[in-house]
Amino acid sequence: MLVHRRTKRGKLAITLVATAALAINVLPAHAINLHKVDGVSQSTITLGITSPLTGAAAPGYNKVPYAMQAYFNYVNDNGGVNGRKIKLIIKDDAYNPVLAKSVTNDLVLQSKVLALVGTLGTAENEATTRFVNDHGVPRLFVNTGYSGFANATKYPTTYTLLPSYVMEAKIMGQYIKDNFAGKSVAIIYQDDDFGADALKGFAIAGTKFVTKIAYPSGSQADPTVVGKWIGGLMAAKPDVTIMFGVSSATAAALGGSYKAGFKTQWILGSVGGDGTTIATVAGPTAVGLLYGAIGASFLPAPTDTTDPYIAQFQAINTKYNPGVVFDNNVLVGMNSAMLTVEALRAAGPTLTRASLLKAIAKSGSTFASAGFAPLGYSATSHVGYNGYWFGTYGPTGAIKPIGGTYSLYTTDSGTGAVVKATSTRPAMPLKGLPNN
Amino acid sequence: MKNLMSMKRIAILGSAVLAFTALVAIPTNASAAPLCDKGFPVQSCIGATSDGAPYSMMVPANFNGTVYLWSHGYRYNVDIPAAMPLIGGYKITNTPEPGPIIGNDTSVIKYLLSKGFAVMGSGFARQGWNADSGVATDEELITTFKSQFKSTTHVIAWGASLGGFITQTLAEKDGAALSAAGPLCVASPSVEAELTMAGDFLWGVKTFFDPSIKAGNYSAGAAGYAEAMGDLGKVFTVLGKLQAGMASGAWPDTTPAAIHAVGLDQVPSRSALLLLGLMAGLPTQSAHFDSTTGPGSVNSNSYTSFAAAASPALAILENGATAAALAVLVTYDVEQQSGGSIFDNTKTDYAARVASEATVYNAALSGSTATAGLLGYLAQAPRATATPAALTKMRSLAQWTGKITVPTVAMTGVADPVTPAGDLTYMAQQYAKQWQAERVATLGKGRPAYDLIALFGVTPAHYTTFSALGAPITSTAAANGTNHCNFNVKQYIAVADMLAYASANGKDLSGGALNTAVRKMGGTTKDLQFAPALPKFYAED
Repeated sequence: MLVHRRTKRGKLAITLVATAALAINVLPAHAINLHKVDGVSQSTITLGITSPLTGAAAPGYNKVPYAMQAYFNYVNDNGGVNGRKIKLIIKDDAYNPVLAKSVTNDLVLQSKVLALVGTLGTAENEATTRFVNDHGVPRLFVNTGYSGFANATKYPTTYTLLPSYVMEAKIMGQYIKDNFAGKSVAIIYQDDDFGADALKGFAIAGTKFVTKIAYPSGSQADPTVVGKWIGGLMAAKPDVTIMFGVSSATAAALGGSYKAGFKTQWILGSVGGDGTTIATVAGPTAVGLLYGAIGASFLPAPTDTTDPYIAQFQAINTKYNPGVVFDNNVLVGMNSAMLTVEALRAAGPTLTRASLLKAIAKSGSTFASAGFAPLGYSATSHVGYNGYWFGTYGPTGAIKPIGGTYSLYTTDSGTGAVVKATSTRPAMPLKGLPNN
Repeated sequence: MKNLMSMKRIAILGSAVLAFTALVAIPTNASAAPLCDKGFPVQSCIGATSDGAPYSMMVPANFNGTVYLWSHGYRYNVDIPAAMPLIGGYKITNTPEPGPIIGNDTSVIKYLLSKGFAVMGSGFARQGWNADSGVATDEELITTFKSQFKSTTHVIAWGASLGGFITQTLAEKDGAALSAAGPLCVASPSVEAELTMAGDFLWGVKTFFDPSIKAGNYSAGAAGYAEAMGDLGKVFTVLGKLQAGMASGAWPDTTPAAIHAVGLDQVPSRSALLLLGLMAGLPTQSAHFDSTTGPGSVNSNSYTSFAAAASPALAILENGATAAALAVLVTYDVEQQSGGSIFDNTKTDYAARVASEATVYNAALSGSTATAGLLGYLAQAPRATATPAALTKMRSLAQWTGKITVPTVAMTGVADPVTPAGDLTYMAQQYAKQWQAERVATLGKGRPAYDLIALFGVTPAHYTTFSALGAPITSTAAANGTNHCNFNVKQYIAVADMLAYASANGKDLSGGALNTAVRKMGGTTKDLQFAPALPKFYAED
C-alpha cells in the first residue's frame, strides 16, 4: 500500500515538473529526463548558493554559506534528510550581478542543483530571475529584504525570509514615533530598490525627514561622497539619523560624523550594523563607533546564549565551523539551513522541485526557526518573517534588546498597521534537528 | 553584418577567396555554365547567376556527393570614405565566398575539401540587406551545381549573420532542396527586429549626446549618402568622446543644452551610455570587458567598483560602436529599398524595457534617481516616426519564422553585439512549438526526431585583463562568445561535422556523440535550457 501511494505521488510530481517546465520554457519533452530529478539521488540532495566570497562586500557575508554548510554537515552526521545527505555547492558571485548570473547557470545546468538557497543581494537575485523562473528552480530564503521578491506571480519559485525593507521602515517609523516624538529625523539611504522600499515604508509610517540623502550603491567608498553626507547632516542638524544602507556605508557615515564632530542618535537598518564588515572596512577600532546606535533585528542577539537557538547553533558552529566567530552572519546562515532542512523533510522522500515548493507553501509557516516573527508562507504568500525588535549596540558592536527583552513589532509590506507581536516562536527542535 | 567589424577583415577575406578561384575570369554572361579549371585535386569553378551574382565552386577529386553552400554576411552596399574611423576605405565588393574564412584562415574550407565535400558560395547580386535576392541566388546556385556535378546527392546550406538569415529562410522556403542547414549567428527574424536593437541605440546616442545625428530618414541620392556618412562620422566621434570621459563622467561637448539645463550632466555619462545599451538589449559583455573583473586585488574597492560600475559601460561602448554603425548603414540601406523612414519608436516604453536591468545594474547606472532622470528625459524627447508605406515595404522583405524543415545546427555567441543570442532562443522556442505539434500529430507512431541543435558560444566568467598600471588591455583577441560571429576554426569544423552527420543520416547528432562533439568544441553549450533572453523586439510581444 505504501509503495503504491509513493508511486502515485511520484508520478504526480513528475507530471507537475514536466508540465511546469513545458509551460514556462516551451522546451521539447525529450529535453526533460522524466526519470531523474536534478539534484536528487538516492543518497544525496544537492543544493547551491551564490554569495560574495571575494570583493568589497565579502567580509561578513562570506561567512553565511559556510555556516549553512556547517549546519548541513551536522544534519548529515545525524542521518541526513530521509536518508539523503545534503551537499551544498558554494559559488562566489563577488556581489556582482553579471557573475551571479554566470555562476547560477553553472549551478543549475552543470551541477544540477535541486534548489538555490540563501542567495544574497537584490541585484544579484534579480539578475538570475528569468533563468530561475524559466527553469522552475526553487530559490529559497533569499538573503535580501527587497519586498518585490515576495511577489509570487513575478517570482513564482522564490521564497523570501528577511522581513521586507518596507516592513522594516514602517516598524522603524513607528519606533521613532513612540520614542522620539517631536525630534527631527534625517535619513541616508541606498538609491536603489533597497532604498525605495525604505522610503515607501517611512511614507506609510508618516515619518517626516529634515533631509534625505541618497547615494548610489558602492559610492560610499568615495570620501567626497561621504563628505557630502556629513555636510548635509550638519546643515540639517537632525536629532535622529537613520542609516538605511549596508554596513560599509554605516562605517563610512559613522566614521565621517565622528571625524566632523557631528552628533546625532543613529538608527541603523538591519543590514547596516554588522561589526565584522565594519571592522574590515574601517579597522577594528571602528566597531566602537556603533556604540550607542540603535539597531533592528528579527533574530535573537548572537551573543544571547540564553536563547536555545543561539546556544544550539553556537555548539554546532564550534564543532562544524571551527575557528569562525559566531556572529549574525553565522546565525543567518544556520537559521536558513535549518529552514531548508525542514522544507526538504516536508517535501517527503519523493523529492522534486515541485514537491519542495509545494511543501513550503503547505507547511512553511509552521517551521521552527530562530526568528521571533512568524513565517508567512502559504499557498498565496511567499513572505517570510514580518517583524523586528530594537536594540542598542554596545562598545564591542554587539546588539542587545532595549530594556533587556525582545519587544517585537510586526506588520506587512502594504498599509497594514504596525503592531506589537503576540505570537509564540516554535521551540528549537531537540538537538537542533528538525522533526517536522 | 559579419563584415561590419572591420575593413581590414574584408580586404583579407576578399584576397583569400580570390586566391581560391585561381584568378579565373568570371563569365560575363550571367547564368552561363560555370567555368571550371579542371584542377587537381580540387577543381575550381566560377560563374555568375542570372541576377549577376558571382559565385565560386570548389570540388575535390574524391567528391562524395555532398556540397556545402555558404551564404556570407552583410556587406555594406556603399563605399566608406577613407577618413572614416574603423571602417574607412571600404569599397563595395561582391567577391564570392565558398565557405567561412576566419581572418585569412581558410582551414575550414580546406578541411571540408579534404573530406571529399564540395563547397560553394556566391558574392550575391547586391550588397546590403539582401535576403530576398540572396535566397534566390542560393536556389539557382544549387540547381547550377547539381547540373554541373551530376553525382551530387546532398546539399548543406550554411551561412553566418545575414548569411545565417538567408540560410534559415532558404531552408524554410525550399527545405526539399537541402539535407541540412546551419544558420550561424543568425540575424534577427526580420530587418525590423534587427534594427530595434541597433536603431534604439542610435536614437539614444542622438538624443543624449549629439542631436545633430540624423539617425535615419535619409534623403534620396547623393544627399542621403552624405547624410549617412556624416552620421557615421558623428557616431564614432561621440563614442570617442564618451570613451575619453569614461573616468570623469564628462558628457561630450555635443550634448544638447537641455541635458545641462535639467542637471542630468551630473550623472556620469557612462551611466547614460549604459542605459542606452540596456534599453537596446546590447550585451554587457564585450570583446574585452566582462563586467565582472577589475584591476588590482580581488578584494579591493577598485576591483569591485570597476567590475560593477565601469566595466558594463565600457562593454556597451565597445559593443555600441558596432551597433551604431550597423544602425546607420542598415537604416540607410533599407530606407533606400523601402522608400522612406523605417525606424519608429513612438510607442516604445523604454522605462518598461529596462525595469529589470535598472535593478541589476543599479550601481553602474548611478542609482535609481539618476536612472529615473535619464529615462524621464528620453520619455520627453522627440521620437522617430516611420513612413507608413516604407514600413509596409520593409515588412514585406524576407523574414524567417523558426520553422525547421531539415536537420539544423545553429550556433551563436551569447554576447554577440550585432545578432543577439536571443535570436537563437527565438528560433528554438518557435521550433519547440512546432515539435510539440508534430508530437501530438504523431501520437502513438513514435516520437518525432528533434531537428535543431542550438549551440551557444559562452563567455568565460572573467577575461578582462589589466596593465601593471591598472589600465584595461584591449589589444588582445576577443573573448569567446563575444563580438560578432566570433567563432574559431575548431567551432566551425565541429558544426560542419554535425551538419555532415545530419545530412547523411537525415537527423541531428544526439546523445553521447553530440555531448562529446560539443565538449571538444570548447566554450560552447548545447543546453537548450541555457537560452539567452529574447531580443527586446520579441520580449515586448
